[in-house]
Amino acid sequence: MKTNHLQLQSPLIRLRQVVKKYNGIAGEVTALKGINLELHSGEFIVITGKSGAGKTTLINMITGLDRLTSGEIWVEDVPVHQLNPEQAARWRGRHIGVVFQSFELLPTLTLVQNVMLPMDFARQGTLKERRERAMFLLEQMGIAEHAHKPPSAISGGQQQRVAIARAMANDPPILAADEPTGSLDSVTADSVLQVFEHLAANGKTVIVVTHDEDTARIASRHIVLADGEMIREAEDGK
Amino acid sequence: MMAAQWHKVINDLLSNKTRTVLIILSIMVGLFAVGTIASARYILSVEMAKAFAQINPSSGVIRTVQPFDSDFIQSVRSMPGVEEVDARRMISARIKVNDGDWTNITIYAVDDYQNMRVNKIFPQEGAFPPPNKEILIERVALNVIHARIGDTITIKLPNEKLRTMRIAGTTHDMAQLPAQIDGTPYGYISTETLKWFGEEYGYNELQVVAVKKEDKKAVQELINEIKDKAERAGYVIPISMTAEPGQLPLDDVLQAILMLMGVLGMLALFLSAFLIINTISALLTQQKRQIGVMKAVGATTVQIMRLYLTLVLFYGLVALMLAIPLSITGARTLSALMASLFNFDLNQMYIPVSSYLIQIAVGLLVPLLASIYPFLANLRISAAEAMSSYGATVQPKRDIIEHLLSGSNLWFARYTVRRSLLLSIRNTFRSKGRLLLTLFTLTLAGAIFISVFTIRASLMRTVDDLMAMWGFDVMINLTRPYRTERVTQEAWRVPGVEEVDSWSMFPARRIRPDDSESVPIYLFAPHIGKGLAASPTIFQGRWLLPEDENAVVVSSTLIKEEPDIKIGDKIVLKVNGKKHHFQVVGISMGFSLPMAYTSNDYALRITNNVGYAETVLVKTSNRHPQYIDAVGKALEKHFEQVGISINAATTMQEERSEAEAMFGIITSLLLFMAVLLALVGGLGLMGTMSINVLERTREIGILRAIGAANIGVAWVFILEGISIGGLSWIFSALLAAPISKALSSATGTALIGQPLTFTYSMAGLWVWLLLIITLSALASYLPARGASRLTVREVLAYE
Repeated sequence: MKTNHLQLQSPLIRLRQVVKKYNGIAGEVTALKGINLELHSGEFIVITGKSGAGKTTLINMITGLDRLTSGEIWVEDVPVHQLNPEQAARWRGRHIGVVFQSFELLPTLTLVQNVMLPMDFARQGTLKERRERAMFLLEQMGIAEHAHKPPSAISGGQQQRVAIARAMANDPPILAADEPTGSLDSVTADSVLQVFEHLAANGKTVIVVTHDEDTARIASRHIVLADGEMIREAEDGK
Repeated sequence: MMAAQWHKVINDLLSNKTRTVLIILSIMVGLFAVGTIASARYILSVEMAKAFAQINPSSGVIRTVQPFDSDFIQSVRSMPGVEEVDARRMISARIKVNDGDWTNITIYAVDDYQNMRVNKIFPQEGAFPPPNKEILIERVALNVIHARIGDTITIKLPNEKLRTMRIAGTTHDMAQLPAQIDGTPYGYISTETLKWFGEEYGYNELQVVAVKKEDKKAVQELINEIKDKAERAGYVIPISMTAEPGQLPLDDVLQAILMLMGVLGMLALFLSAFLIINTISALLTQQKRQIGVMKAVGATTVQIMRLYLTLVLFYGLVALMLAIPLSITGARTLSALMASLFNFDLNQMYIPVSSYLIQIAVGLLVPLLASIYPFLANLRISAAEAMSSYGATVQPKRDIIEHLLSGSNLWFARYTVRRSLLLSIRNTFRSKGRLLLTLFTLTLAGAIFISVFTIRASLMRTVDDLMAMWGFDVMINLTRPYRTERVTQEAWRVPGVEEVDSWSMFPARRIRPDDSESVPIYLFAPHIGKGLAASPTIFQGRWLLPEDENAVVVSSTLIKEEPDIKIGDKIVLKVNGKKHHFQVVGISMGFSLPMAYTSNDYALRITNNVGYAETVLVKTSNRHPQYIDAVGKALEKHFEQVGISINAATTMQEERSEAEAMFGIITSLLLFMAVLLALVGGLGLMGTMSINVLERTREIGILRAIGAANIGVAWVFILEGISIGGLSWIFSALLAAPISKALSSATGTALIGQPLTFTYSMAGLWVWLLLIITLSALASYLPARGASRLTVREVLAYE
């Protein structure tokens, strides 16, 4: 069994008693209430839950986009909880690709430039190599012919593919996606999920946060959150 | 090939052209103001001094009653401490152009116009030097006497002879006060023409340049030595003058202008810095989400800062490239305007390197420094917060303003059918940091604008106060003292005369405790407690009383020259060559020349002139300017007919015009500044507010998505703009009071040795309100209209 084989390895991502609290107008809100979780290399993890369950908060913690209130997050040997925003950005650039629900492509850059951007920041290869890799990734996503168009000139599904290509730009071992199909129709959403499946099959660890329970069917592991707590965990799309 | 991050910089600049233009414009107007003022200040202070130096200005001038010859000039030239000496003949006469009215003129006769050594006169137009039996007129004076080259004029000489001559050309004489200011035209003739005038050959004005011309005390000592020498030779010296080292004829006015330009320049610098901070802050707030995305894909703070600093530097660079040539033109226009009012030509209007450096520093450094705070504010938050559209993860704090603007407290909004009003009010206070910055910038611009108007109003009020003393309409100066009874009786015979009074004026000097002499003082002796001369504006102490004997009131302009004089002091004044003791009882408002006042009875007694008067004062039965003018002319004609010789007849309206003309240079400058600051404040405001609206393009989309019509959307933003503009106007009105008070004090001290009579300009207040409301509404409406033209889909996708 693939999953059992993965579980024999030491975990790639470890969360220990992760707590995140926000101070809002209505007072203090605990978004995550002591999450403990271990994720392995090559897993395709889908995290589901209703709105307000803490899904986005959890993925923001894992990717270092936000800081936790207490607990620990380790990715390989890196204590993500101890990284300051500067260190987190640098680390994220090389180790985690992030995909957002609303794509978040920079509107003033062409598609190929959007994909090159993380390589620029990480100073990966020469300019020529960056461009070649960006074109390669766009080709893989089937949108190379639009490479020199601005994001506003292509459809939502195509934009999300560019966002995935951008996330893969520095060839990170982990890909984290927050509601990546939330803004897409079902046919386009399926094609985007196939891309994730394909990436996981090629050894990437893929974490997808979604409110759509159906997405779990293609995952190797399904985690359900409710009120900031992990209430269920299943394997192989169950 | 270029890295994608640099493509972002270029595309950010090009993709939103409106925003780029607004930002560059905001920075440019600030730089333009700073550059114009800095350069004009330099040109006026340095280039005018250079131009003045070309005439080899005299350190001191001595006038004699009896003409002296070239032997005396030679003997003075050989004195130690004398660098150069020249002399000319000065005649005070009356002039009539064609069939016009008689006016005063000062005529100079010079030996050799081509080889003048001191206070050189330059040819301007027509003949030079003056041909025999023809006259040249100073170029500015030609307009004052309403004449042209080729016109014929009639001159009435002190010896009562009349001479008709042609105006052969014009000269440029920088050593004299411009005729439009002191009202006296200057004419230039040859020594042959002097003989034709029937005047005795010789000089009566000695012009001296001291070796130590920069040392005021040494110059004064040298002039005193020359005076002693002249007096020993039997010459009577009615007047002698020394100039402040390197000082131009209107130095007080120039100093006031330079001071105002310096202060307004600093304020403009401050204002433009805030405009830039505001603009950059708006830009970064707009880019907050993109910053979040870049952080998410691995960008470090330094990398993001480098991107935006490049962007900011580019804005600064383009603004500089536009502002520098514009400010050169602005500075040259302003300097040329000022120089023409001072009757100077600025051949070389050199723009100092320092001016470019200030602009470069402001244009490049200020935007960079201005970016630091918004950068820190935007970069401190996490990537997740930066990307959150509604800031759900930030920690909002409820403050007093938010509480007041909450639904329960905005009770009045519940009863309005315009929900947009509620939205506008809440939107105004939504981003308090930005609001404060915008308000501060607008408040500063408004306060400076209102202050400029207030200084102008204070100057005009000061003229009113200066004129308060003159309770008469016409003043007739006689060529010599006449019996008071006779001249007043003759004045009464003229129709339209309602009241008649007289006074005398004596040239005097203060003898200081160390026996040195002051500059000339005009000692006026009006009738106290009766007659037409009222008290001038008293700053300290009191006005003269009928029972006063040797009491004297000194003007603030005299205090400026003799700062040790205090109320209660006993001072010695040399009047008609004799020393007399006076007690200082008050300090009055003065203007231009050092003046003092003592009672008529006492002054006539000590000068052995009891029963005589040199000046007749008349109040007319109708105060209409044309009527007063007609009565003045009738008086002049009647006095001539009865054999009373007149030196000058002046109406108070003319006196007022002269005082206003003197202040006119400053008020012209202030108007220029007001326009400049309105431009800076106005365009800056438009830029900032327009960026604020552009930032909310998504909000416009939401409003339209839920059914708001374009006009409804526009009103939300127009009302918001007007709220901000109106708020800033209230703060401007308050801030203008201390700024203008300080500036009018400084202007007054430079001009008349005392603060101006402070008058807060209501006109300035209302003009700014009109400007700020119009600009706020326009600045909000135009971009909102632009956003309304986009489709809802386009708007919601707007970044």
